[in-house]
Amino acid sequence: MYSRGPVIVMELPETLNHAEGQKFVGELQPLLEVHRPRIVLDCSQVQQMDSAGIETLLYCMQEAMKRDGDLKLAAVSPASATIMELMRADRLFEVFETAEEAARSFQAVALPDEQSLPWYSSGLGLADLKIAS
Amino acid sequence: MGLGAIVVIGAEFEGVHSTAGAESEQQFLLAEPLACIDVLGRSMTERTVERFVRAGVEVISVLVPVEMAHMVQPCSVSFENLKTQVVADVSSAVTQKLKDFSRDGVEHAFVVCASVYTETDLLDLFYFHREARQAATRALDSDGSLNLWVVDCAKAHHSDLEDLLAQAEGAAASYFIRDYVNRLNHPKDLRQLVSDALRGRCGMRPSGVELKPGIWVDEGAEIDRRARLVAPAYIGRGCKIQEDTLITRCSNIEKGCYVDYGTVIEDSSILANTHIGIWLDVCHAVANGNKLLSLGRNVILEISDRSIMRTIGSAREESRNNSLDFYEAQQVITDLNEQEQPEEPRTPKAGSSEPILSRGEVYVQ
Repeated sequence: MYSRGPVIVMELPETLNHAEGQKFVGELQPLLEVHRPRIVLDCSQVQQMDSAGIETLLYCMQEAMKRDGDLKLAAVSPASATIMELMRADRLFEVFETAEEAARSFQAVALPDEQSLPWYSSGLGLADLKIAS
Repeated sequence: MGLGAIVVIGAEFEGVHSTAGAESEQQFLLAEPLACIDVLGRSMTERTVERFVRAGVEVISVLVPVEMAHMVQPCSVSFENLKTQVVADVSSAVTQKLKDFSRDGVEHAFVVCASVYTETDLLDLFYFHREARQAATRALDSDGSLNLWVVDCAKAHHSDLEDLLAQAEGAAASYFIRDYVNRLNHPKDLRQLVSDALRGRCGMRPSGVELKPGIWVDEGAEIDRRARLVAPAYIGRGCKIQEDTLITRCSNIEKGCYVDYGTVIEDSSILANTHIGIWLDVCHAVANGNKLLSLGRNVILEISDRSIMRTIGSAREESRNNSLDFYEAQQVITDLNEQEQPEEPRTPKAGSSEPILSRGEVYVQ
Protein backbone atom coordinates (compact mmCIF):
# COMPACT_ATOMS: atom_id res chain seq x y z
CA MET A 1 0.00 0.00 0.00
CA TYR A 2 1.39 3.35 -1.00
CA SER A 3 0.60 6.85 0.18
CA ARG A 4 -1.00 8.85 -2.61
CA GLY A 5 -1.64 12.25 -1.08
CA PRO A 6 -2.27 15.15 -3.42
CA VAL A 7 0.60 16.84 -5.22
CA ILE A 8 0.21 20.56 -4.75
CA VAL A 9 1.36 22.84 -7.53
CA MET A 10 1.98 26.46 -6.54
CA GLU A 11 2.95 29.24 -8.89
CA LEU A 12 5.78 31.46 -7.71
CA PRO A 13 5.30 35.24 -8.07
CA GLU A 14 6.98 37.29 -10.81
CA THR A 15 9.48 38.72 -8.36
CA LEU A 16 10.95 36.50 -5.71
CA ASN A 17 12.70 38.76 -3.26
CA HIS A 18 12.53 39.08 0.53
CA ALA A 19 9.11 40.73 0.71
CA GLU A 20 7.43 38.57 -1.95
CA GLY A 21 9.13 35.51 -0.51
CA GLN A 22 7.68 36.14 2.95
CA LYS A 23 4.24 36.60 1.45
CA PHE A 24 4.58 33.42 -0.54
CA VAL A 25 5.77 31.41 2.48
CA GLY A 26 2.75 32.69 4.40
CA GLU A 27 0.48 31.21 1.72
CA LEU A 28 2.39 27.95 1.43
CA GLN A 29 2.96 27.33 5.15
CA PRO A 30 -0.38 25.53 5.85
CA LEU A 31 0.31 23.20 2.93
CA LEU A 32 3.78 22.45 4.24
CA GLU A 33 2.51 21.51 7.67
CA VAL A 34 0.72 18.35 6.56
CA HIS A 35 2.31 14.90 6.78
CA ARG A 36 4.54 14.21 3.75
CA PRO A 37 3.78 17.35 1.76
CA ARG A 38 4.36 16.95 -1.97
CA ILE A 39 4.88 20.34 -3.47
CA VAL A 40 5.71 21.51 -6.98
CA LEU A 41 6.71 25.15 -7.35
CA ASP A 42 5.99 26.40 -10.84
CA CYS A 43 8.62 29.03 -11.65
CA SER A 44 7.30 29.92 -15.10
CA GLN A 45 6.18 33.40 -13.98
CA VAL A 46 9.41 34.28 -12.18
CA GLN A 47 11.12 37.23 -13.83
CA GLN A 48 13.40 38.30 -11.01
CA MET A 49 14.92 36.32 -8.21
CA ASP A 50 17.57 37.30 -5.70
CA SER A 51 19.43 35.60 -2.87
CA ALA A 52 16.46 36.12 -0.52
CA GLY A 53 14.29 34.36 -3.10
CA ILE A 54 16.62 31.40 -3.08
CA GLU A 55 16.52 31.37 0.71
CA THR A 56 12.72 31.21 0.44
CA LEU A 57 12.96 28.15 -1.80
CA LEU A 58 15.43 26.52 0.56
CA TYR A 59 13.19 27.24 3.54
CA CYS A 60 10.19 25.64 1.80
CA MET A 61 12.27 22.61 0.87
CA GLN A 62 13.54 22.28 4.43
CA GLU A 63 10.02 22.45 5.84
CA ALA A 64 8.79 19.82 3.37
CA MET A 65 11.68 17.49 4.15
CA LYS A 66 11.20 17.89 7.89
CA ARG A 67 7.80 16.28 7.40
CA ASP A 68 9.14 13.53 5.18
CA GLY A 69 7.89 15.23 2.03
CA ASP A 70 9.60 16.78 -0.94
CA LEU A 71 9.58 19.94 -3.00
CA LYS A 72 10.37 20.08 -6.71
CA LEU A 73 10.74 22.95 -9.14
CA ALA A 74 9.25 23.25 -12.59
CA ALA A 75 9.69 25.58 -15.56
CA VAL A 76 12.74 27.37 -14.17
CA SER A 77 13.79 30.17 -16.52
CA PRO A 78 17.41 30.29 -17.72
CA ALA A 79 18.01 33.44 -15.63
CA SER A 80 16.66 31.83 -12.44
CA ALA A 81 18.63 28.66 -13.18
CA THR A 82 21.78 30.74 -13.55
CA ILE A 83 21.23 32.46 -10.19
CA MET A 84 20.58 29.12 -8.54
CA GLU A 85 23.73 27.69 -10.07
CA LEU A 86 25.75 30.74 -9.01
CA MET A 87 24.56 30.33 -5.43
CA ARG A 88 24.93 26.54 -5.48
CA ALA A 89 21.26 25.91 -4.90
CA ASP A 90 20.74 24.09 -8.21
CA ARG A 91 22.03 20.78 -6.91
CA LEU A 92 19.57 20.78 -4.01
CA PHE A 93 16.41 20.79 -6.08
CA GLU A 94 14.95 18.42 -8.60
CA VAL A 95 14.02 20.55 -11.59
CA PHE A 96 11.52 19.60 -14.31
CA GLU A 97 10.51 21.20 -17.59
CA THR A 98 6.83 21.46 -16.67
CA ALA A 99 4.69 21.29 -13.54
CA GLU A 100 2.95 18.17 -14.93
CA GLU A 101 6.25 16.35 -15.27
CA ALA A 102 7.21 17.33 -11.75
CA ALA A 103 3.86 16.12 -10.39
CA ARG A 104 4.16 12.86 -12.31
CA SER A 105 7.60 12.29 -10.82
CA PHE A 106 6.00 12.15 -7.36
CA GLN A 107 3.67 9.38 -8.54
CA ALA A 108 6.54 7.43 -10.00
CA VAL A 109 8.45 7.27 -6.73
CA ALA A 110 5.53 7.39 -4.29
CA LEU A 111 6.64 6.69 -0.76
CA PRO A 112 5.24 3.58 0.91
CA ASP A 113 3.13 3.93 4.07
CA GLU A 114 4.89 3.52 7.38
CA GLN A 115 3.08 0.26 8.20
CA SER A 116 4.20 -1.37 5.00
CA LEU A 117 7.85 -0.38 5.32
CA PRO A 118 10.29 -3.29 5.66
CA TRP A 119 12.12 -3.43 9.00
CA TYR A 120 15.39 -2.13 7.52
CA SER A 121 13.83 1.13 6.40
CA SER A 122 11.63 1.77 9.37
CA GLY A 123 13.85 4.50 10.70
CA LEU A 124 15.69 2.34 13.22
CA GLY A 125 19.43 2.74 13.41
CA LEU A 126 21.93 0.03 14.24
CA ALA A 127 21.89 1.03 17.90
CA ASP A 128 18.12 0.67 17.97
CA LEU A 129 18.37 -2.79 16.47
CA LYS A 130 20.78 -3.91 19.14
CA ILE A 131 18.47 -2.72 21.88
CA ALA A 132 15.52 -4.31 20.15
CA SER A 133 17.23 -7.69 19.96
CA MET B 1 57.90 50.63 -48.62
CA GLY B 2 55.61 53.08 -46.75
CA LEU B 3 53.25 50.93 -44.75
CA GLY B 4 50.63 52.19 -42.31
CA ALA B 5 47.84 50.70 -40.24
CA ILE B 6 44.43 51.89 -39.10
CA VAL B 7 43.00 50.03 -36.14
CA VAL B 8 39.29 50.60 -35.59
CA ILE B 9 37.70 49.94 -32.22
CA GLY B 10 34.06 49.05 -31.84
CA ALA B 11 31.25 47.60 -33.91
CA GLU B 12 30.30 50.75 -35.82
CA PHE B 13 32.87 50.15 -38.45
CA GLU B 14 31.87 46.51 -38.74
CA GLY B 15 28.24 47.55 -39.12
CA VAL B 16 29.09 49.43 -42.30
CA HIS B 17 30.31 46.22 -43.83
CA SER B 18 27.62 43.95 -42.43
CA THR B 19 29.65 41.56 -40.38
CA ALA B 20 28.41 42.52 -36.93
CA GLY B 21 25.23 40.70 -36.08
CA ALA B 22 22.81 40.96 -33.23
CA GLU B 23 25.47 39.33 -31.09
CA SER B 24 27.42 42.56 -30.90
CA GLU B 25 24.55 43.96 -28.83
CA GLN B 26 25.24 41.36 -26.26
CA GLN B 27 28.85 42.35 -25.88
CA PHE B 28 27.75 45.89 -25.09
CA LEU B 29 25.32 44.66 -22.50
CA LEU B 30 28.15 42.83 -20.91
CA ALA B 31 30.88 45.43 -21.05
CA GLU B 32 32.86 47.72 -23.26
CA PRO B 33 33.80 46.46 -26.75
CA LEU B 34 35.61 43.18 -26.47
CA ALA B 35 38.60 44.73 -28.22
CA CYS B 36 39.09 47.02 -25.22
CA ILE B 37 38.89 44.56 -22.39
CA ASP B 38 41.94 42.82 -21.03
CA VAL B 39 42.42 39.26 -22.15
CA LEU B 40 45.16 37.48 -20.23
CA GLY B 41 46.58 40.77 -19.06
CA ARG B 42 46.44 42.89 -22.22
CA SER B 43 43.72 44.29 -24.43
CA MET B 44 43.21 43.06 -27.99
CA THR B 45 43.86 46.61 -29.21
CA GLU B 46 47.29 46.57 -27.61
CA ARG B 47 48.03 43.15 -29.00
CA THR B 48 46.93 44.24 -32.50
CA VAL B 49 49.06 47.39 -32.36
CA GLU B 50 52.01 45.35 -31.15
CA ARG B 51 51.66 42.92 -34.06
CA PHE B 52 51.77 45.83 -36.50
CA VAL B 53 54.83 47.29 -34.78
CA ARG B 54 56.55 43.91 -35.04
CA ALA B 55 55.62 43.69 -38.73
CA GLY B 56 57.49 46.95 -39.32
CA VAL B 57 54.51 49.22 -39.95
CA GLU B 58 55.72 52.82 -39.87
CA VAL B 59 52.64 54.64 -38.67
CA ILE B 60 49.63 53.36 -36.74
CA SER B 61 46.39 55.16 -36.12
CA VAL B 62 43.81 53.89 -33.61
CA LEU B 63 40.30 55.24 -34.24
CA VAL B 64 37.80 55.23 -31.40
CA PRO B 65 34.12 56.13 -31.99
CA VAL B 66 33.16 59.03 -29.74
CA GLU B 67 30.46 57.00 -27.96
CA MET B 68 33.09 54.54 -26.82
CA ALA B 69 35.74 57.02 -25.77
CA HIS B 70 34.89 56.67 -22.10
CA MET B 71 35.46 52.92 -22.25
CA VAL B 72 38.81 52.92 -23.99
CA GLN B 73 42.07 53.05 -22.10
CA PRO B 74 45.05 54.66 -23.84
CA CYS B 75 47.27 52.10 -25.55
CA SER B 76 50.35 51.32 -23.50
CA VAL B 77 52.48 50.13 -26.43
CA SER B 78 55.48 52.43 -26.74
CA PHE B 79 55.70 53.38 -30.41
CA GLU B 80 56.39 56.93 -31.45
CA ASN B 81 54.17 56.90 -34.55
CA LEU B 82 51.10 55.64 -32.75
CA LYS B 83 48.19 58.04 -32.59
CA THR B 84 44.83 57.46 -30.93
CA GLN B 85 41.94 59.56 -32.17
CA VAL B 86 38.36 59.87 -30.99
CA VAL B 87 36.13 60.23 -34.07
CA ALA B 88 32.47 60.96 -34.69
CA ASP B 89 32.13 58.98 -37.92
CA VAL B 90 34.39 56.00 -38.34
CA SER B 91 33.97 55.57 -42.11
CA SER B 92 34.84 59.15 -42.98
CA ALA B 93 37.68 59.12 -40.45
CA VAL B 94 39.20 56.04 -42.09
CA THR B 95 38.84 57.65 -45.53
CA GLN B 96 40.49 60.81 -44.27
CA LYS B 97 43.26 58.86 -42.58
CA LEU B 98 44.02 56.97 -45.82
CA LYS B 99 44.22 60.29 -47.65
CA ASP B 100 46.59 61.62 -44.97
CA PHE B 101 48.73 58.52 -45.32
CA SER B 102 48.85 58.94 -49.10
CA ARG B 103 49.87 62.58 -48.72
CA ASP B 104 52.61 61.61 -46.24
CA GLY B 105 54.06 59.02 -48.60
CA VAL B 106 52.55 55.92 -47.05
CA GLU B 107 51.63 53.77 -50.03
CA HIS B 108 49.68 50.96 -48.42
CA ALA B 109 47.79 50.59 -45.18
CA PHE B 110 46.22 47.80 -43.21
CA VAL B 111 42.69 48.54 -42.07
CA VAL B 112 41.59 46.25 -39.26
CA CYS B 113 38.97 45.99 -36.56
CA ALA B 114 40.78 45.71 -33.26
CA SER B 115 38.77 42.71 -32.17
CA VAL B 116 40.04 40.50 -35.01
CA TYR B 117 42.79 38.29 -33.69
CA THR B 118 44.84 36.53 -36.31
CA GLU B 119 48.30 35.11 -36.28
CA THR B 120 48.81 35.41 -39.99
CA ASP B 121 52.03 36.87 -41.39
CA LEU B 122 51.00 40.48 -42.01
CA LEU B 123 53.89 41.11 -44.36
CA ASP B 124 52.88 38.11 -46.44
CA LEU B 125 49.40 39.62 -46.69
CA PHE B 126 50.92 42.90 -47.78
CA TYR B 127 53.10 41.25 -50.46
CA PHE B 128 50.08 39.33 -51.70
CA HIS B 129 48.15 42.58 -52.03
CA ARG B 130 50.98 44.33 -53.84
CA GLU B 131 51.42 41.51 -56.33
CA ALA B 132 47.68 41.33 -56.96
CA ARG B 133 47.72 45.05 -57.91
CA GLN B 134 44.28 45.65 -56.42
CA ALA B 135 42.91 48.75 -54.76
CA ALA B 136 42.10 46.72 -51.69
CA THR B 137 42.57 43.12 -50.60
CA ARG B 138 40.44 41.53 -47.94
CA ALA B 139 41.56 38.65 -45.76
CA LEU B 140 39.31 35.66 -45.23
CA ASP B 141 39.43 32.34 -43.51
CA SER B 142 37.40 29.15 -43.69
CA ASP B 143 34.51 30.87 -41.85
CA GLY B 144 34.32 33.77 -44.32
CA SER B 145 35.59 37.32 -44.69
CA LEU B 146 37.52 39.03 -41.94
CA ASN B 147 37.60 42.72 -41.07
CA LEU B 148 41.18 42.95 -42.20
CA TRP B 149 42.12 44.69 -45.42
CA VAL B 150 45.22 46.02 -47.12
CA VAL B 151 44.42 49.19 -49.01
CA ASP B 152 46.28 51.16 -51.62
CA CYS B 153 46.28 54.64 -50.06
CA ALA B 154 46.68 56.46 -53.40
CA LYS B 155 43.51 54.82 -54.72
CA ALA B 156 41.71 55.73 -51.52
CA HIS B 157 42.43 59.31 -52.45
CA HIS B 158 40.03 59.08 -55.39
CA SER B 159 37.20 57.01 -54.01
CA ASP B 160 35.40 56.77 -50.72
CA LEU B 161 35.91 53.96 -48.27
CA GLU B 162 32.68 52.11 -49.04
CA ASP B 163 33.59 51.87 -52.74
CA LEU B 164 37.15 50.94 -52.00
CA LEU B 165 36.29 48.13 -49.63
CA ALA B 166 33.49 46.98 -51.93
CA GLN B 167 36.16 46.60 -54.60
CA ALA B 168 37.99 44.26 -52.24
CA GLU B 169 34.83 42.14 -52.01
CA GLY B 170 34.65 41.81 -55.77
CA ALA B 171 38.41 41.56 -56.26
CA ALA B 172 39.83 38.64 -58.16
CA ALA B 173 42.13 37.71 -55.31
CA SER B 174 41.46 37.53 -51.58
CA TYR B 175 44.03 36.51 -49.03
CA PHE B 176 43.18 33.21 -47.40
CA ILE B 177 44.37 32.80 -43.82
CA ARG B 178 45.19 29.30 -42.68
CA ASP B 179 46.63 30.38 -39.33
CA TYR B 180 44.75 30.87 -36.07
CA VAL B 181 41.86 33.37 -36.25
CA ASN B 182 39.39 34.56 -33.62
CA ARG B 183 36.89 37.24 -34.57
CA LEU B 184 36.00 38.07 -30.97
CA ASN B 185 32.43 38.99 -31.91
CA HIS B 186 30.87 37.41 -28.85
CA PRO B 187 31.95 36.66 -25.28
CA LYS B 188 31.97 33.00 -26.35
CA ASP B 189 34.83 33.88 -28.67
CA LEU B 190 36.59 35.47 -25.71
CA ARG B 191 36.34 32.21 -23.76
CA GLN B 192 37.56 30.30 -26.79
CA LEU B 193 40.55 32.62 -27.17
CA VAL B 194 41.47 32.34 -23.48
CA SER B 195 41.15 28.58 -23.59
CA ASP B 196 43.22 28.31 -26.77
CA ALA B 197 45.91 30.62 -25.38
CA LEU B 198 46.17 28.80 -22.05
CA ARG B 199 46.27 25.42 -23.76
CA GLY B 200 48.94 26.62 -26.19
CA ARG B 201 46.71 26.22 -29.25
CA CYS B 202 47.55 29.71 -30.44
CA GLY B 203 50.51 32.02 -30.19
CA MET B 204 48.98 34.40 -27.64
CA ARG B 205 50.81 34.32 -24.33
CA PRO B 206 49.45 35.57 -21.00
CA SER B 207 51.32 38.37 -19.30
CA GLY B 208 53.08 37.53 -16.05
CA VAL B 209 55.00 34.39 -15.23
CA GLU B 210 54.16 30.73 -15.52
CA LEU B 211 54.59 29.64 -11.90
CA LYS B 212 53.81 26.00 -12.64
CA PRO B 213 52.96 24.42 -15.99
CA GLY B 214 49.74 26.08 -17.10
CA ILE B 215 49.43 28.40 -14.08
CA TRP B 216 50.07 32.00 -15.06
CA VAL B 217 50.25 34.68 -12.40
CA ASP B 218 50.81 38.36 -13.09
CA GLU B 219 52.67 40.76 -10.83
CA GLY B 220 51.18 41.79 -7.51
CA ALA B 221 48.63 38.97 -7.37
CA GLU B 222 47.97 37.62 -3.88
CA ILE B 223 46.89 34.02 -3.74
CA ASP B 224 46.06 32.42 -0.41
CA ARG B 225 47.95 29.23 0.43
CA ARG B 226 44.66 27.40 0.73
CA ALA B 227 43.36 28.50 -2.66
CA ARG B 228 43.57 25.86 -5.35
CA LEU B 229 44.62 26.71 -8.89
CA VAL B 230 44.20 23.82 -11.28
CA ALA B 231 45.99 24.29 -14.62
CA PRO B 232 45.39 25.88 -16.96
CA ALA B 233 44.46 29.16 -15.26
CA TYR B 234 45.47 32.81 -15.27
CA ILE B 235 45.49 35.25 -12.34
CA GLY B 236 45.94 38.89 -13.37
CA ARG B 237 47.82 41.81 -11.91
CA GLY B 238 46.90 42.81 -8.37
CA CYS B 239 44.23 40.11 -7.95
CA LYS B 240 43.38 38.76 -4.55
CA ILE B 241 42.34 35.14 -4.34
CA GLN B 242 41.06 34.08 -0.94
CA GLU B 243 41.28 30.73 0.83
CA ASP B 244 39.37 27.64 -0.28
CA THR B 245 38.69 29.05 -3.72
CA LEU B 246 39.13 26.89 -6.78
CA ILE B 247 40.15 28.38 -10.12
CA THR B 248 40.18 25.86 -12.93
CA ARG B 249 39.43 24.81 -16.52
CA CYS B 250 41.06 27.67 -18.41
CA SER B 251 39.58 30.38 -16.23
CA ASN B 252 41.13 33.81 -16.36
CA ILE B 253 40.85 36.34 -13.56
CA GLU B 254 41.85 39.71 -14.98
CA LYS B 255 43.59 42.54 -13.14
CA GLY B 256 42.33 43.93 -9.85
CA CYS B 257 39.76 41.20 -9.17
CA TYR B 258 38.88 39.82 -5.76
CA VAL B 259 37.62 36.26 -5.41
CA ASP B 260 36.26 35.63 -1.95
CA TYR B 261 36.33 32.61 0.31
CA GLY B 262 35.17 29.23 -1.00
CA THR B 263 34.14 30.33 -4.48
CA VAL B 264 34.67 28.11 -7.51
CA ILE B 265 35.56 29.69 -10.86
CA GLU B 266 35.33 27.09 -13.58
CA ASP B 267 35.65 27.61 -17.34
CA SER B 268 34.95 31.32 -16.83
CA SER B 269 36.41 34.73 -17.48
CA ILE B 270 36.29 37.32 -14.71
CA LEU B 271 36.90 40.68 -16.30
CA ALA B 272 39.01 43.36 -14.64
CA ASN B 273 38.06 44.90 -11.28
CA THR B 274 35.29 42.48 -10.41
CA HIS B 275 34.52 41.39 -6.86
CA ILE B 276 33.14 37.85 -6.59
CA GLY B 277 31.56 37.06 -3.21
CA ILE B 278 31.83 34.01 -0.98
CA TRP B 279 30.69 30.45 -1.72
CA LEU B 280 29.64 30.99 -5.29
CA ASP B 281 29.89 28.78 -8.35
CA VAL B 282 30.83 30.72 -11.45
CA CYS B 283 30.72 28.15 -14.21
CA HIS B 284 30.95 28.59 -18.01
CA ALA B 285 30.35 32.32 -17.71
CA VAL B 286 31.83 35.75 -18.24
CA ALA B 287 31.55 38.10 -15.26
CA ASN B 288 32.09 41.83 -15.34
CA GLY B 289 31.29 43.95 -12.28
CA ASN B 290 27.74 43.08 -11.31
CA LYS B 291 26.91 41.50 -14.67
CA LEU B 292 27.16 37.83 -15.36
CA LEU B 293 26.74 36.27 -18.77
CA SER B 294 25.98 32.57 -18.62
CA LEU B 295 27.33 31.16 -21.86
CA GLY B 296 25.53 27.87 -21.45
CA ARG B 297 22.12 29.46 -21.07
CA ASN B 298 22.90 32.61 -23.04
CA VAL B 299 21.45 34.98 -20.42
CA ILE B 300 22.87 38.11 -18.85
CA LEU B 301 22.14 38.74 -15.18
CA GLU B 302 22.52 42.06 -13.47
CA ILE B 303 23.08 41.34 -9.81
CA SER B 304 22.02 44.05 -7.42
CA ASP B 305 23.26 42.34 -4.25
CA ARG B 306 26.70 43.87 -3.80
CA SER B 307 27.84 41.06 -1.55
CA ILE B 308 27.54 38.61 -4.46
CA MET B 309 29.14 40.52 -7.30
CA ARG B 310 30.19 44.10 -7.89
CA THR B 311 32.73 46.34 -9.53
CA ILE B 312 35.54 47.25 -7.20
CA GLY B 313 34.86 50.95 -6.63
CA SER B 314 38.25 52.57 -6.51
CA ALA B 315 39.36 50.60 -9.54
CA ARG B 316 36.35 51.81 -11.49
CA GLU B 317 37.19 55.40 -10.67
CA GLU B 318 40.81 54.87 -11.60
CA SER B 319 39.77 53.27 -14.86
CA ARG B 320 37.49 56.19 -15.61
CA ASN B 321 40.27 58.64 -14.85
CA ASN B 322 42.48 56.82 -17.32
CA SER B 323 39.92 56.64 -20.11
CA LEU B 324 40.34 58.59 -23.32
CA ASP B 325 37.21 60.57 -22.53
CA PHE B 326 38.60 61.81 -19.25
CA TYR B 327 41.96 62.46 -20.84
CA GLU B 328 40.30 64.62 -23.46
CA ALA B 329 38.19 66.48 -20.88
CA GLN B 330 41.34 67.22 -18.98
CA GLN B 331 42.98 68.48 -22.16
CA VAL B 332 40.01 70.78 -22.87
CA ILE B 333 40.08 72.19 -19.36
CA THR B 334 43.84 72.68 -19.54
CA ASP B 335 43.49 74.42 -22.91
CA LEU B 336 40.78 76.70 -21.55
CA ASN B 337 42.92 77.56 -18.58
CA GLU B 338 45.83 78.35 -20.85
CA GLN B 339 43.72 80.83 -22.80
CA GLU B 340 42.45 82.60 -19.71
CA GLN B 341 44.40 85.07 -17.66
CA PRO B 342 45.30 83.75 -14.21
CA GLU B 343 42.57 84.67 -11.76
CA GLU B 344 42.27 84.85 -8.04
CA PRO B 345 41.62 81.38 -6.64
CA ARG B 346 37.87 80.79 -6.36
CA THR B 347 36.47 79.84 -3.01
CA PRO B 348 33.39 77.65 -2.74
CA LYS B 349 30.21 79.43 -1.78
CA ALA B 350 28.72 78.35 1.52
CA GLY B 351 26.37 75.40 0.98
CA SER B 352 27.41 75.06 -2.65
CA SER B 353 28.57 71.72 -4.00
CA GLU B 354 30.05 73.32 -7.09
CA PRO B 355 33.47 71.86 -7.83
CA ILE B 356 36.45 74.13 -8.24
CA LEU B 357 38.38 73.51 -11.41
CA SER B 358 41.85 74.82 -11.77
CA ARG B 359 44.77 73.82 -13.91
CA GLY B 360 45.67 70.19 -13.45
CA GLU B 361 42.61 69.47 -11.37
CA VAL B 362 39.49 67.85 -12.65
CA TYR B 363 36.46 67.14 -10.59
CA VAL B 364 35.21 63.60 -10.80
CA GLN B 365 31.81 62.88 -9.38
